[in-house]
Amino acid sequence: MKQMIVPKQAAALLVLLLTALPGGSLAAGPVVKGQVARTSKHATQGITCAQCHGKAAKKSVVAMQQCLGCHGDTKELAARTAQVKPTNPHENRHFGTEADCNRCHHEHATSENLCLPCHLRFGFKVP
Amino acid sequence: MSQDHFQEDQETDQYTKQTIENGFSRRSFLSRAAGGAAAAGLFGLSSLPAAAAGPTKTKDLEFATSTDGGATLSFLPKPKPIRDREIAETLTFDVVVVGAGASGVPAALSAAENGAKVAVIQKAPFALSQGNTGSGVDLATSEKAGIEALVARLIADSNHRCNPKLIRQWAYHSGEAVRWVIDRARQGGSPVVDQGSPAQRAILKVNGYSMGYVTSFFGPKPYTTGDGMRHLAKTAEKAGVRFFYRTPAVQLVQNKAGEVLGVIAKGPNGKYTKFLAKKGVILATGDYQNNKAMSDYFVPDVKHLERKQLDKTGDGFALAYWAGGVIEPIGHTKMLHDFDAGPASMCDMPFLAVDRKGRRFVNETVEMSLLNNYLRDAENAGHYSQIFDSNYMTQAATWPGKLVPPEGLKNYMPDDPSPKKGVFESQVNTHVADTIEELARKLEADPAILVATVKRYNEVVASGKDSDFGKPADRLIPVVKAPFYGIHRRVRVSAICSGMLVDENHQALNAEGKPIKGLFLIGNLGGGFYGGVDYPLTVFGLSLGRCYTFGYLTGKHVAKL
Ligand SMILES: Cc1cc2nc3c(=O)[nH]c(=O)nc-3n(C[C@H](O)[C@H](O)[C@H](O)COP(=O)(O)OP(=O)(O)OC[C@H]3O[C@@H](n4cnc5c(N)ncnc54)[C@H](O)[C@@H]3O)c2cc1C
Repeated sequence: MKQMIVPKQAAALLVLLLTALPGGSLAAGPVVKGQVARTSKHATQGITCAQCHGKAAKKSVVAMQQCLGCHGDTKELAARTAQVKPTNPHENRHFGTEADCNRCHHEHATSENLCLPCHLRFGFKVP
Repeated sequence: MSQDHFQEDQETDQYTKQTIENGFSRRSFLSRAAGGAAAAGLFGLSSLPAAAAGPTKTKDLEFATSTDGGATLSFLPKPKPIRDREIAETLTFDVVVVGAGASGVPAALSAAENGAKVAVIQKAPFALSQGNTGSGVDLATSEKAGIEALVARLIADSNHRCNPKLIRQWAYHSGEAVRWVIDRARQGGSPVVDQGSPAQRAILKVNGYSMGYVTSFFGPKPYTTGDGMRHLAKTAEKAGVRFFYRTPAVQLVQNKAGEVLGVIAKGPNGKYTKFLAKKGVILATGDYQNNKAMSDYFVPDVKHLERKQLDKTGDGFALAYWAGGVIEPIGHTKMLHDFDAGPASMCDMPFLAVDRKGRRFVNETVEMSLLNNYLRDAENAGHYSQIFDSNYMTQAATWPGKLVPPEGLKNYMPDDPSPKKGVFESQVNTHVADTIEELARKLEADPAILVATVKRYNEVVASGKDSDFGKPADRLIPVVKAPFYGIHRRVRVSAICSGMLVDENHQALNAEGKPIKGLFLIGNLGGGFYGGVDYPLTVFGLSLGRCYTFGYLTGKHVAKL
């Protein structure tokens, strides 16, 4: 398997995210066989496909609950980003604190800013 | 015409007949798809070989492709049966409302006030809607002839294609319903006010007859009807309505006879709950503007235009279609606005208007709500700018609308540091500059093109006659004195207002024109109220007013069944 190349910025962010994980139970380690999608940021931290997608032969779409299992409560996340300008992306009038993580943060594709283009000047950088 | 035919005419009105004949239902679609040539005609393809145009050969003939192959009926996928063992819980109510928006919350409260045990299942984490103004007719201060004249005006606004019975129903019940919404929302803590007749200046007289209005205003921004429906939901909860949030409806429960018995919804934990409804299910899921394939099919005009809502995927359409309901024929009514980039009161003032690049494109007396028709292409995508110079306060003083002085315009300028009030900060887009080039850059237009446009426009103005677009001479004012102003508007899809066939009880009708027992459709999911190319702005707040009214009436009706 080819070595994953993680841009410095992304690596730093990952560290940030992972340090935020409760319990810190997800030790980085070798990845199982050729299973890891090369696009996965999580993979570089030793997280296997099955940890998110389940063990069944037919891989299921990852529900938001799965993200929260490691990354913690949505309200806590919203509190942590309360000062983000021009507005808190994790607490908004469309979804409150319950926007599905996957709407912006993609694991196997470039993440996107759902607020744009409706909200001009909400130029968030989405990790 | 035979005697039989004549009698049938009297039984079924024109609107309903048309919709059954040309709309989309499982029955009409299947029967038309069965004949190759007929299917080709359905998609306007009679000149192409039927094989290329006909429905895709799936075994159930569930999907069909359009001429360009881009749109398919797969936007209405047949629901996969959910087995009983997949259902985690079954709950029984009298009335189940699907969707907590401008029609759903009023319907739920109204049903509860009429004695029903009510559940609301809602996709979002709370009640959700949009807009500020919702209106009704005040019967006490309106002449009967005025009400009928207004009804006639609204029918004409719909190019005479709507169901007149539904317009009349709004006209004669909306005052009561809108007042009720105001009162009950206030009980929940809402600052909503009745702006009354002054908010409807242009229609205080219709055909010379006097009219009065109830105009609910959930505002000012950023407070909207979304917040309003959350306040109304508080009152509903107190009245005993149970709300289930983050619980989208995925399937209707029907018996063999086609009667709707309930809804299956998926909760935040991923588990299914079956909600049984002893009296009826009221679908109030809004429009389908975020379902791209479905929009491209029914309203191709808005293919390149941006959306104002999120997650309106037409879920209710799919549910009701598979239960036997009929979707209104292609050519649905659309609503596109921009009241936010600059003052709403100046949006219809006929200043020089230029497209995204900076070219003049229209006789500017055309209202903002119709400009989308000129800006439908991918390049313009609804963007245009209104341009005027520093003499506007005096030179446009007599135009209809209301001018906002330069100091007030700062409230709409993202580059001005002044604190903003009563606007969405992320939507304002008004600019001021000392030169046209600089203004063009701020408006994201092409400076050279805008300079040339302004030069040409000033020539036209100087000549006293608009030889380019025919705008009346008293609407021609030059753009010469710095600083120059520009409002960069972008009309986006507020709503799609066509829906599915209902009768006056808002009960869904099937392709035979028979009511589907247990199924009611309100809000933008309900059909028959519009029919024109664009939503009319004759009554400001007609859309929300109609949603409240039909929610109020339907909740009451179903509770009493
Ligand atoms: C920015 C903006 C401004 C507007 N301003 C005005 C105005 O001032 N005056 C006016 O008259 N009109 C206005 N409109 C139009 C008006 O808001 C709509 O026509 C109206 O809200 C439609 O009401 P509804 O009940 O059909 O749908 P909505 O109010 O949109 O409610 C539908 C609800 O159903 C829920 N839902 C959807 N699918 C499901 C599902 N599967 N299960 C459960 N729940 C579901 C949604 O979450 C939503 O809460 C405006 C629209 C926009 C976008």
